[in-house]
Amino acid sequence: MVLLLKVVACFVVLLHCSRAQASSFEVNLTVLPSFIWDDVANRLNALPSILTVSPSQEPSFHSSSDLLLSSFHGDPEISDYCRELLHIFGQRYVSYVNCLVSSARPVKVCLNCFMLYNRLTDIYSNISQVGLGNESCQVTLLRSDRLMLVYELYDKITDIWKTSHCSNCLSNDSLSSDALHYMAKLNESLRCFESQKSNHSELCKECKASYKVLNDLYGRMEKNKSLCIDIEDAMNMTRILWSKSFNCSFPREETVPVIAVSSFMLFLPIIFYLSSFLHSEQKKRKLIHPKRVKSSNSLMNIQDKHS
Amino acid sequence: MANIAKKVSWSSRGDEPAQGEGTPLLNGTGAARYSRQFSGGKLFHIGRLSTVDLEEEIDEEESVVSRPKEIPHNEKLLSLKYESLDYDNSENQLFLEEERRMSQMGFKCLEMSRWLVCALIGILTGLIACFIDIVVENLAGLKYQVIQQNIERFTETGGLSISLILWVLLNSAFVMVGSVIVAFFEPIAAGSGIPQIKCYLNGVKIPRVVRLKTLVVKVCGVICSVVGGLAVGKEGPMIHSGAVVAAGISQGRSTSLKRDFKIFEYFRRDTEKRDFVSAGAAAGVSAAFGAPVGGVLFSLEEGASFWNQMLTWRIFFASMISTFTLNFFMSIYHNKPGDFSNPGLINFGRFDSDSTEYYLYEIPLFIIMGAFGERESYCGNLSLALLHFNGPVLFLVFSRRAHVSFTPAGGLLGALFNVLNYWLTILRIRYIHRPCLQVMEAVLVAAVTATVSFTMIYFSDDCQPLGEDQLEEYPLQLFCADGEYNSMATAVFNTPERSVRSLFHSPAGSYNPVTLGIFTITYFFLACWTYGLTVSAGVFIPSLLIGAAWGRLFGILLASFTPHNSIQTLADPGKYALIGAAAQLGGIVRMTLSLTVIMVEATGNVTYGLPIMLVLMTAKIVGDYFVEGLYDIHIKLQSVPFLHWDAPATSHSLTAREVMSSPVTCFNLVEKVGTIVDVLSNTSTNHNGFPVVSRLSDGCEPGKICGLILRSQLIVLLKHKVFVERARSRLNQRKLQLKDFRDAYPRFPPIQSIHVSQDERECMMDLTEFMNPTPYTVTQETSLPRVFKLFRALGLRHLIVVDSDNQVVGLVTRKDLARYHLGKHGLEELQLAQT
Repeated sequence: MVLLLKVVACFVVLLHCSRAQASSFEVNLTVLPSFIWDDVANRLNALPSILTVSPSQEPSFHSSSDLLLSSFHGDPEISDYCRELLHIFGQRYVSYVNCLVSSARPVKVCLNCFMLYNRLTDIYSNISQVGLGNESCQVTLLRSDRLMLVYELYDKITDIWKTSHCSNCLSNDSLSSDALHYMAKLNESLRCFESQKSNHSELCKECKASYKVLNDLYGRMEKNKSLCIDIEDAMNMTRILWSKSFNCSFPREETVPVIAVSSFMLFLPIIFYLSSFLHSEQKKRKLIHPKRVKSSNSLMNIQDKHS
Repeated sequence: MANIAKKVSWSSRGDEPAQGEGTPLLNGTGAARYSRQFSGGKLFHIGRLSTVDLEEEIDEEESVVSRPKEIPHNEKLLSLKYESLDYDNSENQLFLEEERRMSQMGFKCLEMSRWLVCALIGILTGLIACFIDIVVENLAGLKYQVIQQNIERFTETGGLSISLILWVLLNSAFVMVGSVIVAFFEPIAAGSGIPQIKCYLNGVKIPRVVRLKTLVVKVCGVICSVVGGLAVGKEGPMIHSGAVVAAGISQGRSTSLKRDFKIFEYFRRDTEKRDFVSAGAAAGVSAAFGAPVGGVLFSLEEGASFWNQMLTWRIFFASMISTFTLNFFMSIYHNKPGDFSNPGLINFGRFDSDSTEYYLYEIPLFIIMGAFGERESYCGNLSLALLHFNGPVLFLVFSRRAHVSFTPAGGLLGALFNVLNYWLTILRIRYIHRPCLQVMEAVLVAAVTATVSFTMIYFSDDCQPLGEDQLEEYPLQLFCADGEYNSMATAVFNTPERSVRSLFHSPAGSYNPVTLGIFTITYFFLACWTYGLTVSAGVFIPSLLIGAAWGRLFGILLASFTPHNSIQTLADPGKYALIGAAAQLGGIVRMTLSLTVIMVEATGNVTYGLPIMLVLMTAKIVGDYFVEGLYDIHIKLQSVPFLHWDAPATSHSLTAREVMSSPVTCFNLVEKVGTIVDVLSNTSTNHNGFPVVSRLSDGCEPGKICGLILRSQLIVLLKHKVFVERARSRLNQRKLQLKDFRDAYPRFPPIQSIHVSQDERECMMDLTEFMNPTPYTVTQETSLPRVFKLFRALGLRHLIVVDSDNQVVGLVTRKDLARYHLGKHGLEELQLAQT
């Protein structure tokens, strides 16, 4: 049970800390090595009992082990078949999460774990389809209580899968040729970086070709939308190495011609306004005088008084 | 005081020469002067003023006589070329007969066809908006793509100055096309068109403003100027376009294309046309901003002086149809039919996530921004006083945060948009009036805009990574690290609409303060320089962009001066960008109600209604203290006789006697054709309405008022030769009908084109049937505000002044009323000028 908690905790951390704070990751990572596959498999036998706790009995999770035992044998709801499915689901889930966490940084979640994910999807689709005979594990396992734990777990993990765009790098349950090609080019560049590490200016010259190939390939893949998080991350790292660590960006060299051309352009309006001010004749308006009534005597009087 | 005296004597100086010339027709030129003195005598506070005035006048009386009566163009003129619309129906016998013939069913059909016309207006306006949007998007996309590729190539190999030249050339080429068609083919299509439509709805007939040619030039012009990268928007011209569409459709024919569809003939007069034009303007706003209610309120606030509930409902209908049409066709264009997410030309994006909520304590901050927005349109050194004026308490509470962010921005953005633009426009009217000069100026502005943009991008060190969901379509990397992009280019290397959206919605940290500051300043001056060029383009988007930039800057600085954990929501600069945009736009155009609703509708967030309203209120109050709104300034500079809501506040002492023109050229009930032709051909008296008096028969007293006849009616009568003698000789001659008047509308031929033989000059013409027998009249003692109210409320064109015996003594027209305005020194009088 504690183990399950850890799995869930680790997974929650994974969810919430996509921009991971290193510290929390480390904490979890130190826990994870203790997950030994067999160990997990053994202990998972206890899982169904937890999952089948009826809603009314849920609240005291930790303190109700005797209660759990009592309900273990007598629960009519869950069949052996479903329990078996659930068991396998648990195993595959744990192994996938395990893989995800271990390949979190640098990101290799697609390349390393896609097999595990496919297996997880298989078992989930088994659970969610209407089973043999009258048995439907879909109802008992997925929606018989408020928590709907199996569904929720799967849903969250699918979200991660979707956000990482892993399917872009896969074709027919294996890595796509694009992705493999990219990886090859990436390794080429990185090898070149490695060989020229001592002298940065040399590196910029020597590795430019391979880096450019890599960069262009990435640009093409970006347009095709065939990028997954692994490739994006790898490219980001390479670019940071190239531009920031090795400082191989384009320098701002031709400031003088740019300034010259711009100041020429900026100078034109001044000439224009000056010349049109001096040479263009000013537009004059002819005044028109409206017909008005002749002043009356009273008005004249006022005027006389004032003047 | 000396200044005042000079000002007044200036206007009187103009009066002098005419007095010297003393043509009998233009008699009584001194009266204008006397009337002013008269008011001066009555009003205590300008009593002294008029004394000074008189002394100067007497001094100048002799010396000034030889002076030419030409003065440089200024804002204190009224142009003769503008005439009034005949909003008031001429209820002559023909009209009454026709109305009597019409059945109840006929009136119902008319009402139905009004709705039909409104639907058509909406649909066509929406389609035009759609067309503009698609063409601009594609052309601008092409342009930016070419430049982007060029820059990318030359970043690597060197030679970026060539990219600069390419950019300059592309921009200039587009703008040159746009400017040439405006300057040489239809100058009235220049600018946003909102001042012109405002005048039209006010009742001034602006020549050629609602013609098909204007529409075509406007649409092409706006496409060219937006694609040409000027600091302009395509939203303002939509309003003009909508108005032209409305005026065109409602007439059921096109004079330019010489096609008459023989429909909607009933609507061929100013009254109906003007109602439809207000619907068209509303449809235009609605298509531009996706704000149907805002459109209706715009028509209400800016335009329609004459308003009734049914009209409102119809206008709303047109607006709704227009935004729906745009939405529908844009969804098809984007291959997502049925997905209605493009209600307007500009899409502000949705402000509905949690991070963009505002809290009560932020409202004072927003209000300060309102004042700030205005302050940008006025001098910097007044800003501090203004702040304190605006609410010392608020200022104290927020001084710690607000002050810091004010000081730099206030110092940097000192100039004021409206005043700068005012001087610039005067300069343009006076010196840059030839079309080729105007084209050159526009091209230069385009070139400089491109140069400045490029230089800003080139020297910007602000690099930001591009998020997955960011809207940037043409990112420029230049000297940034790979994977990062020049953040100045996000703001500059883009159509203004996209930049606005990016400023509203980019996550915190997408722009650094220096970038925003530089951008605000340069764009402020560029936009100010651009508005008023001979290209068709609007000022909405540039204002929004300037405001959004400094608003975002404000938000960023605010966030950086607050402790990090205390107030989370201050961290989102997007909402400050929105408030800043509202403040800036409000400070420039001074719209209130309609702008609030437009902003609320465009952002799709009602909760922002209150802060936006408060901001616009502050901006208007503070702004009106210094200078008028941009549109009003331009209306004034065009010398349009514009009637505001009310007569000037201190004009109660003036009566109809001083206001009216006198003596009046009148006609007899049965008038000799020769006299009529002579009067109409007289170029010095370009009158449009003639009181008809009875002198001879019927036992009337001489000069007693019988009716009013318009120039246009007389011309139609002369054209059809409706003479008494002819009617006698040919009894079976077709009787003149109202239709004949409608067919000639709205372009009545000039009198010169009508040939009247010597024999015909001796004929007589009976005006009884055609004149309006019930014109509005007032007595000589009616006060100016009362006359003004009549004009404004009834949409009059001529108001006859009669004495106690009902004899015509004078005639009041729009120009007689519009010349009074409240200047800095009390009531001032504008002069009439030939332009």
